[in-house]
Amino acid sequence: MNFGPVTGGPGAPTVFDPHSLPSDDNVNAYTFCVELKGSQWFLQKGKMIAYYGRIDFNGVGNGRFDRLLRTSFHSPMHAADWVVAEGQGKMLLADRAFDVNSYDLDDGNLTIRSGNLLAYQPSLALKQSIVPGFLTLIGTGKFVAASNGPVVFMEPPLRVDPQALVGWADCPSPCHHYDHGYMSGVIGGLRSLTGIGGSSGEEHQFEFVGAGTVLLQSSEMLMAEQAIGTVGAGAEAAGVPGAGYGGGHGQQGPLGQLGVPRMPGQLGDIQRRLGL
Amino acid sequence: MPFRELNSKMVEAQVIPGQKMFSQRGAMLAYRGEVSFTPSLTGGQGGVMGMIGRRVANEQTPLMSVEGSGTVMFGHGGHHIQVINLTGETLYVEADRLLAFDGTLQQGTMFMGSQGGVMGMVRGQVTGQGLFTTTLKGHGSVAVMAHGGVIELPITPNRPIHVDPQAYVAHHGDVRNKLSTALGWRDMVGRGSGEAFQLELSGQGAVYVQASEEKL
Amino acid sequence: MLAVDLTGDAVKAKNGSMVAYDGQMAFKKMTGGGEGLRGMVTRRLTGEQMTVMEVQGHGTCFFADRASEINLVNLRGEKLYVESSNLLCTDAGLRTGTTFTGLRGGATGNGLFTTTVEGSGQAAIMSDGPAVVLRVSSQYPLSVDPGAYIAHTGNLQQSFQSGINFRTLIGEGSGEAFQIRFEGEGLVYVQPSERNTIGGDI
Repeated sequence: MNFGPVTGGPGAPTVFDPHSLPSDDNVNAYTFCVELKGSQWFLQKGKMIAYYGRIDFNGVGNGRFDRLLRTSFHSPMHAADWVVAEGQGKMLLADRAFDVNSYDLDDGNLTIRSGNLLAYQPSLALKQSIVPGFLTLIGTGKFVAASNGPVVFMEPPLRVDPQALVGWADCPSPCHHYDHGYMSGVIGGLRSLTGIGGSSGEEHQFEFVGAGTVLLQSSEMLMAEQAIGTVGAGAEAAGVPGAGYGGGHGQQGPLGQLGVPRMPGQLGDIQRRLGL
Repeated sequence: MPFRELNSKMVEAQVIPGQKMFSQRGAMLAYRGEVSFTPSLTGGQGGVMGMIGRRVANEQTPLMSVEGSGTVMFGHGGHHIQVINLTGETLYVEADRLLAFDGTLQQGTMFMGSQGGVMGMVRGQVTGQGLFTTTLKGHGSVAVMAHGGVIELPITPNRPIHVDPQAYVAHHGDVRNKLSTALGWRDMVGRGSGEAFQLELSGQGAVYVQASEEKL
Repeated sequence: MLAVDLTGDAVKAKNGSMVAYDGQMAFKKMTGGGEGLRGMVTRRLTGEQMTVMEVQGHGTCFFADRASEINLVNLRGEKLYVESSNLLCTDAGLRTGTTFTGLRGGATGNGLFTTTVEGSGQAAIMSDGPAVVLRVSSQYPLSVDPGAYIAHTGNLQQSFQSGINFRTLIGEGSGEAFQIRFEGEGLVYVQPSERNTIGGDI
């Protein structure tokens, strides 16, 4: 008998010890190793899977970090979700078997979906983006982020489905783009009156223009995100920053969950149930 | 036009004026250029009758047509994507696994019950895909979604392949399918080994199997 | 996905994990994980559920389960401790059983008992994302999040460690988090993902 892996299956397992683990680099596509030499890292709770050595984890609320917070952490909404790791050793970070990657910023800025950020060096400053659900990192240093599938880098001009957006660097903030051809077209007009025909699900995108880089992930479906990164309103629409306005719709139907703003006149869930 | 695989979960397609594409609604991740996405009641072909046929066939995956000029990136739900290039043969696939495909491909639905008689009907029940399945025929590319990675298993006349109906993704070629049991009836009571029914595919072609027994 | 070439011999696999095969295969449900009556009673009592089938035949059989990543473990007489839900497939010659895990099971939410695989041969274990294998030696103890732990081999002592301070502003729903600390000599398999656990919150 022979156990053989199929393409994409396991290879010969590598056994790691504290010496063979990489320093501040990926162990594999899904696991990242951070080396601490008396230094500190900000770490989102629930992302550390194992560590060697002596590492202390303290909530950011710990008074000792007052100075550190003043320079590197400016997000009161997320305070309860972050800890500071400090000490000597190597720790492994991973998140829901997502792809993880590290990014180096050199006096730059990058905005990222808050649920995708795993850890960052205190030499970076973390701030809340004006786009709800996103965090901006400013300065020089390294951070680690997760994505569902490898991140794809794109240059503007580009229109992106909100749920596929991981983040962006250097771009001016994205604006909303609605497909008005859809709304005002003949079929669109009929649809907005009767609700027949459903929506293509693509009436709304984030539009990026100017110089910069846009980071996309291969998924439109976000894994269950912890209730972080949402600011006030918008918390109810999973993964769609700033959606969920128009609280008049007592319940968001499947369309709402898909991040499609409900159009006036849409019958909502019925059309979907009928498969139209 | 072929799909370019950006990674295992994302494909890119060029949209050229005059060449329509179809994709599952909501599967667009990003685009560049002037591209319009129009909900398609009928899947673009077959008119009203085709639509009714699809409704009856319970193959109600909402499609949208993609037209214009630019580049579109498709992906959905973090599912793995398998690009299948057709050169004249027919691909059999469940409609809800279709991510995107060339508009030049001829769409149809096939009554699976017509293959294998009663057992074919049981097959539909078992796989939960109903008695109808979508067929795509012609020359072009199809992007199919699967839960977990996909392997392609060739089928040759003297080497039939048995597949768990839930792990079955699609097949093409001149293939007959029939439902077989590897167990006695006694073992099927109480779920048995869980492998009570198997889909036996024989003939000439290939079958795509996903690394999971979950539907999408 | 795991491919197993069989030439008349047999493997034990998790119930319903076959996705495809070619050649001739016979599937047989094994009551009580193939451990005989006594094993069955033990499993009933311990709550470590495992439904196993035996696959025998000639050809290639493909196994997979919920798109999990598959890791092969070669055993040469040592004992593998693995949560039964993470065990996909073993050589038919390997013995499986249950063992008391101590308190760890309580924190991982997997019960107080775990499955052991013993003998010489190969076992395939599943993880959410490819597992990382970490060596534990006397000078390098290892701390693992309970939700990321999937299996271990060797002579390891486990203990709970709760030295994590979440002294937040107003004790904001954080509480203490646990890790399992492994000491001794052996290998620990961790997955790049965390099950929901009572303990691990870091």
